[in-house]
Amino acid sequence: MIRHVVTGCALVLALSGAAAAQAPRAGGVANAVIQPEPPGLMLGLLQNGPTQMVAGNIYEGLLRYDDALKPLPGLAESWSVSPDGRTYTFTLAKGVTWHDGKPFGADDVLFSIEFLKQNHARARGNMAKVASVTAPDSGTVVFTLSEPFGPFLGVFEVGSLPMIPRHLYEGTDPKTNPANNSPVGTGPYMFKEWKKGSYIRLVRNPRYHVAGKPYLDEIYWHVIPDAAARAVAFETGKVDILPGGSVENFDVPRLSKLKGACVTGKGWEFFGPHSWLWLNNRKGPTASKAFRQAVSYAIDRDFARDVVWNGLGKPATGPISSATRYHNAALAGYAYDPAKAKALLKQAGYKGETVRLLPLPYGETWQRWGEAVRQNLEDVGIRTELVATDVAGWNQKTADWDYDIAFTYLYQYGDPALGVARNYISSQITKGSPWNNVEGYANPAVDAAFAEGAAAVGDDRRQAIYDGVQKTLIEDAPVAWLLELQFPTITRCTVRDLVTTGIGVNDGFRDAWIER
Amino acid sequence: MSPAGPARRRGALAAFGRHPGAVAGSAILVAVVAAALLAPLLYPASPWRMVQRPFVPPFTLERVPLGTDALGRDIAAGLMHGASVSLVVGLVSTLAALVIGVPLGALAGYLGGRVDDALMRFTELFQTVPSFALAIVLVAILQPSLSSMILAIALVSWPPVTRLVRGEVLSLRSREYVQAAIVTGQTTFTILRREVLPNTLSPIVVLASLMVATAILLESSLSFLGLGDPNRMSWGFMVGAGRTVIRQAWWITAFPGVVILLTVLALNLIGEGLNDALNPRLARER
Amino acid sequence: MGLFIARRIGKGVVVLLAIVVLNFFLIRLAPGDPALVMAGEAGAADEVFVAQLREKFALDQPLPRQLASYVRNIVGLDLGYSVRQQMPVATLIGDRLPATLLLTGTAFLISLALGVLFGALAARRAGSLADTAITGVALLFYATPLFWVSLMAIIVFSVRLDWLPSFGFETVGAGYAGLARAADIAHHLVLPAMTLGLFFMAVYVRMTRASMLEVMGLDFVKTARAKGLAEGVIQRRHVLRNALLPVVTLAGLQAGTLVGGAVLTETVFAWPGIGRLMYEALLQRDYNLLLGVFVVSSGMVLVFNLVTDVVYRVVDPRIEAAR
Repeated sequence: MIRHVVTGCALVLALSGAAAAQAPRAGGVANAVIQPEPPGLMLGLLQNGPTQMVAGNIYEGLLRYDDALKPLPGLAESWSVSPDGRTYTFTLAKGVTWHDGKPFGADDVLFSIEFLKQNHARARGNMAKVASVTAPDSGTVVFTLSEPFGPFLGVFEVGSLPMIPRHLYEGTDPKTNPANNSPVGTGPYMFKEWKKGSYIRLVRNPRYHVAGKPYLDEIYWHVIPDAAARAVAFETGKVDILPGGSVENFDVPRLSKLKGACVTGKGWEFFGPHSWLWLNNRKGPTASKAFRQAVSYAIDRDFARDVVWNGLGKPATGPISSATRYHNAALAGYAYDPAKAKALLKQAGYKGETVRLLPLPYGETWQRWGEAVRQNLEDVGIRTELVATDVAGWNQKTADWDYDIAFTYLYQYGDPALGVARNYISSQITKGSPWNNVEGYANPAVDAAFAEGAAAVGDDRRQAIYDGVQKTLIEDAPVAWLLELQFPTITRCTVRDLVTTGIGVNDGFRDAWIER
Repeated sequence: MSPAGPARRRGALAAFGRHPGAVAGSAILVAVVAAALLAPLLYPASPWRMVQRPFVPPFTLERVPLGTDALGRDIAAGLMHGASVSLVVGLVSTLAALVIGVPLGALAGYLGGRVDDALMRFTELFQTVPSFALAIVLVAILQPSLSSMILAIALVSWPPVTRLVRGEVLSLRSREYVQAAIVTGQTTFTILRREVLPNTLSPIVVLASLMVATAILLESSLSFLGLGDPNRMSWGFMVGAGRTVIRQAWWITAFPGVVILLTVLALNLIGEGLNDALNPRLARER
Repeated sequence: MGLFIARRIGKGVVVLLAIVVLNFFLIRLAPGDPALVMAGEAGAADEVFVAQLREKFALDQPLPRQLASYVRNIVGLDLGYSVRQQMPVATLIGDRLPATLLLTGTAFLISLALGVLFGALAARRAGSLADTAITGVALLFYATPLFWVSLMAIIVFSVRLDWLPSFGFETVGAGYAGLARAADIAHHLVLPAMTLGLFFMAVYVRMTRASMLEVMGLDFVKTARAKGLAEGVIQRRHVLRNALLPVVTLAGLQAGTLVGGAVLTETVFAWPGIGRLMYEALLQRDYNLLLGVFVVSSGMVLVFNLVTDVVYRVVDPRIEAAR
């Protein structure tokens, strides 16, 4: 009945690339940048990017994923799936303790699932098909699903399903639990201190369950609010690690040319950040399919990649990123074709109404991109006005559908059922959240296909279903896909094995070491 | 002091002309105004248009004498078009501050007593909250645009006007000609308009010239924080947008930075010249 | 004097309460709320998540009730709780206030000291080349955008010359204590305090110069000169002392601006002060924290104003309570 069993020795060293021959050295301090300062570090309650980047060292999930999204052992040392795709059995790693010395076991896993269903929006969705979770013994956890859920093996990474210490949270109000301010996990590094506005300090977990790891003595996460100052901090040697997104893209080429600086675009495969323009399907010129197609043709994606993103990333051809499973590379999508865009505009009967374009308020790169897209649209004759707003305003405008065209990007989490469907299925059209079907596209055929794709068993079967979905969506152009984003991680070359999985820096520094 | 007469004004003009800084400042300001007026003629296309490859250094291509920015937009065109935004922000927000500040100050100074007390508490309210912080909050609330920026700048810069006008009115109120007007039974409004306010004009003009300068600086600071109007090319926007690439393309921030500096400098020099010419006694009120 | 101070404190409290009420409504007018911001940052959210957060932030309560409970807390000197940061607002502000006071205080002293010194020098040789140079340079610092000077200073002094650190409050993880730590902090303080101080210096240069020139023309100075007193003594004892009065008034007003004006400096130099805290709280719509910063900084301004008024009376006891 067991289809495959993977054991803990499937090491990921090969991924780290160059000079794998050298043996890791213990000791040293890593100085990294965290931007922006996270609101807290309790990963079970907060799921924003900076929280995960720091807390990915403190907490752990059952699994990790390599850059092809194949599962790797985490807190589970092995796992198996029944042939009908409804029973998942995890064998937990042995000798794991929480940072406070208490042992970690299967009841912590059961508690965490219940905890996260209460407090973690994505886990709530991911666990929707779970009929029961049981622990036959303290080292084994069995998930039984009500129906097969194709991407299920992909939802156990630290950000999606972090393990929470039961002995500290059971029977408490999680929001006011004092453990939130000094988080306790099983991860390679332990929380030490947080000087708000300055730095967060983590120290080595001497009891870590993987022998010999981690290597570093300490990690400092520095809070530096200004992008130019962050670049200077790297240049002057005050910090050694600039995780993806912490410097403006315009600075990446210069910094990567510095002596002793190394750059990698890897470590984001699990997230597959995919950017597009939400086109309001409900009203205004964007309600017309021809108009939406015209927008797609009007955008010069190569210019955006080469100039705005400094050559990072690649044009997105459809709803599914090429890093995500079931991407269909045969579908070409929309090329830059202003003439075709103009013809489609005429066909759509566009009369020169002003269209409001809402850029993402995430720094200069996004601002420049907004300006470039405005120019693209103006060039084919669409009157465009940029709307300025901050993060709170952006969230409200998109959640209330108060826009014509809006920039966004979303993570895909490796599987169309996890990170893609939510933007296109009609059950996800609800006001008040900026992370669902904000454009208001509704197509019963697409709804059915996504439902079928999630429940289907077998890669071929799922590929066929998602091929159909991609074709329909590209034709209907509910949104205008822009780029598959890349967030380069810049480090001192002496920092080794920092990015070893498809989750990258967000997966913690458990393999990282410093060459001396 | 007697009411301002034509002879005194002529004298003031001559005094202003003798002030070398003031003359230089006026020349710069005329150039800025000329740039704002000529921009649509010299650069009829939108300053947002990408005309060349990005990061063209200055003085290398005749087509873009001052180089291009991160998206290949012409810096020279941006500077010309930006002049009008800076001037509009400076002038309109100052006018608005005067519209709020002058009547409040006049009423407080003229009526005195409880009205004065209440109005001064109200003014204090706005002077107590750190002004730049308040401006940031106001722009964030109204969402960044040219008009919200003007409103925010006006709302944080009127209190000094009120204080100045109140002080002047307080001292003018006891003058014979004002007392005479009161005795002849003219209404408060008429007295203020005819007798009092015209004589507070010169200190107000001096203060206003400095407020325009401060407003231009404020606009650039707000833009630097990303709170500018994304549809209007302004100098502050250019500096803010260029700061992330300051290390590889100094010219993108340097040119608008220098232009802001010159304009603010010019307005300050003019203010000093006006001060010396119109009202040598004023220096201590500010 | 005691009565005067008591009355001023009373008025200050009224102003402060008005600020609380005004800003309470003002910041709630901004689009979005803290729940939406946090939901947005989570990268995934559903209605349950947003509703939970709204309940957590007490945003589901009617506005008047929120205001009433906030004012009640303030009266009890409690600034409330930042749900986003999971900490009392007073703690968050308390952590940051020393850094801001150190920065703005140093900048304030630099600007005042240099401003009065150069202003007095310029006034003494009014019309000379030195006068023109001093006023010119001061004006230049005033007219240059603060953030631009800061960036340039970082490039010159941190990157090119490597003399001074470009960001932060102290060397993180160095484990300095006592004097070594103080020296380290001072080292980090140089760039931000100088750029901020030079900006405000211009105002004092101009003010001192103008005020001294005015006093020099007054009768008692002429009398002193006629009595044959040495010029240096006249300048110090008679002119400067009297000329400083308006400077003191301005300094009181300026102190408030220093707190608010530090937003840019703190951002560029990653200085962990309350200016930055305010700006971040605004972007995150962390209402209690933002209000708390306003209350504390406004309170500081009121205290500064009170102090200047008292100083004013000490310097010149003739002034009546008319102000």
